[in-house]
Amino acid sequence: MYCVHTTALSHRFSASQQVLKEIELAVPTGSIYGFLGPNGAGKTTTLRLLLGLIKKQQGEILLFDQPLHLHRLQLLRQTGSMIEVPSLYGHLTAKENLLIWQKLYQCPKPHIAEALQIVGLADTGNKRVRQFSLGMKQRLSIATAILHQPALLILDEPTNGLDPYGIIEMRDLLKTLNTQHGITIVISSHLLAEIEKLVTHTGIISAGRIVFQGTLNELVSRQQSESQMILQTANNTEAAQIVKTFVSDVVINAQHISMPLLSKEKIAALHRALVQHKIDVYEMNAIKKELETIFMELINQTKHD
Amino acid sequence: MTNSFTNCLSAEWIKKRRSFSSWLVVVGACFIPLILTIMFLVYPKQILDLHHSGQFWRILQLRSWETMSIILLPMGIVLAVSLITQIEFKNNMWKQLHTAPVPFSSIYFSKLVLILLMLAQLFVLFNIATYVSVWIPALLNRDVPFPLYAINGTDVLKENGAYFIASLPLISLQFAISLQFKNFLVPIGAGLVLVVGGIIAHSWKYVYMLPPAYTALHFGEASGSTKHTDHNLTLWALGYFVVFVIIGYLLYVNRKEKG
Repeated sequence: MYCVHTTALSHRFSASQQVLKEIELAVPTGSIYGFLGPNGAGKTTTLRLLLGLIKKQQGEILLFDQPLHLHRLQLLRQTGSMIEVPSLYGHLTAKENLLIWQKLYQCPKPHIAEALQIVGLADTGNKRVRQFSLGMKQRLSIATAILHQPALLILDEPTNGLDPYGIIEMRDLLKTLNTQHGITIVISSHLLAEIEKLVTHTGIISAGRIVFQGTLNELVSRQQSESQMILQTANNTEAAQIVKTFVSDVVINAQHISMPLLSKEKIAALHRALVQHKIDVYEMNAIKKELETIFMELINQTKHD
Repeated sequence: MTNSFTNCLSAEWIKKRRSFSSWLVVVGACFIPLILTIMFLVYPKQILDLHHSGQFWRILQLRSWETMSIILLPMGIVLAVSLITQIEFKNNMWKQLHTAPVPFSSIYFSKLVLILLMLAQLFVLFNIATYVSVWIPALLNRDVPFPLYAINGTDVLKENGAYFIASLPLISLQFAISLQFKNFLVPIGAGLVLVVGGIIAHSWKYVYMLPPAYTALHFGEASGSTKHTDHNLTLWALGYFVVFVIIGYLLYVNRKEKG
């Protein structure tokens, strides 16, 4: 079951500026969905559409299997959000900020103390929010978003501007919310490295189009399928014939032989075969593609389309 | 709907804590009475003349409302209304507010009602401060008697009610403008142009059509100094108020981007 599901979602700011092209977002319930893409790819616009902050022009948005435009208030009651920079009342304290949202969400007052406890801001007392560090503001924004114990959390680049320690803290907090409180999280970022340790599913958007969507494991498999092995021997021509018995896609260069990444068993067998044929092996090296490289290639592929 | 409105209103009430607009209410209400107090302390003859007039409270009320109605009240409305909407713009809150599960109408009308409550708060404080302004000189100066005359509560309420109604069109117009612009200077500039325009047009025969001039026009009628028009200002004010509230709401609710 999908917590968020969009079909053919398109949006344009002007006749010449189409920012989203038929976005099909599918966020499974209970997942942490990393919504990745470079700046200007359409992430924030998509998330704003999911929250009803921009009027939908084309396509369908379903939250919890219900159309957003028909059940806006009911669906927002189950959703918490933080879009771009933290939105907080700087002249008020953390507790007063949450008191405002407690009124708006019509949730019990004890939720305020619980939310502050979860984000580690229970001891801020009478300190005004404008005196908070960016990390504290981000955490208070999360507290605002989880105050009413939503089933879905939509976070737009929540780690922006945080130091490495703050990023780790935020990651731990989101993992806790997902595993212990069962909240489905959609988190956008322009850096894969920043969220690859957090997410279970990913969607990659580039130039307004979804270029990849699936589990993180699927992305990792893609990484493995696109990785290569390099072999350098005393006799590359003879070695290539032996390699071809293991894998067909072999390229012989002046210096080395390159081939798709083999399984551990095949690597051992290839090595044995080369030794049996008395071919000296100088180098046998797996060149794994980084996830980041796959990500960049997916993005660049769309840009050049 | 009613529930979400009252919740929105109490949320708005929390937002105004320690805000400039809430301080403006206190300062605005006490400014003229403070000047009166100082004047009565420095020139006790002024207050003695009031005692001899036989219409102590009425004349005091007119004196305190004079500057208030012509300049301070309209200027204060422009500033306070712009500051209230600015709380959302300044803190980048519109987008967050619009993801709350409350109807847009509750957000709009709770803000408007908050402004009206603040105006009522201003009037209550202003009347109390005006009352105090004649007690302090009597306490500090033996030659000044205490104002032990009965206050005609109905008159005070009627007068305050008339100024309140006269303020409504400017409030609703300024509210509609302030919701549209992130840059604080735009609504402030527009509001000041309206207020100054109202003052300049004071003797124009069609001044009854200019909402920013209504508080000053009411003062003119109350003091008997001018009788500008045979038109019913209360009806004009209420009519403008309804029209501006509707236009403001339509502009607000039909914005393509809600933050």
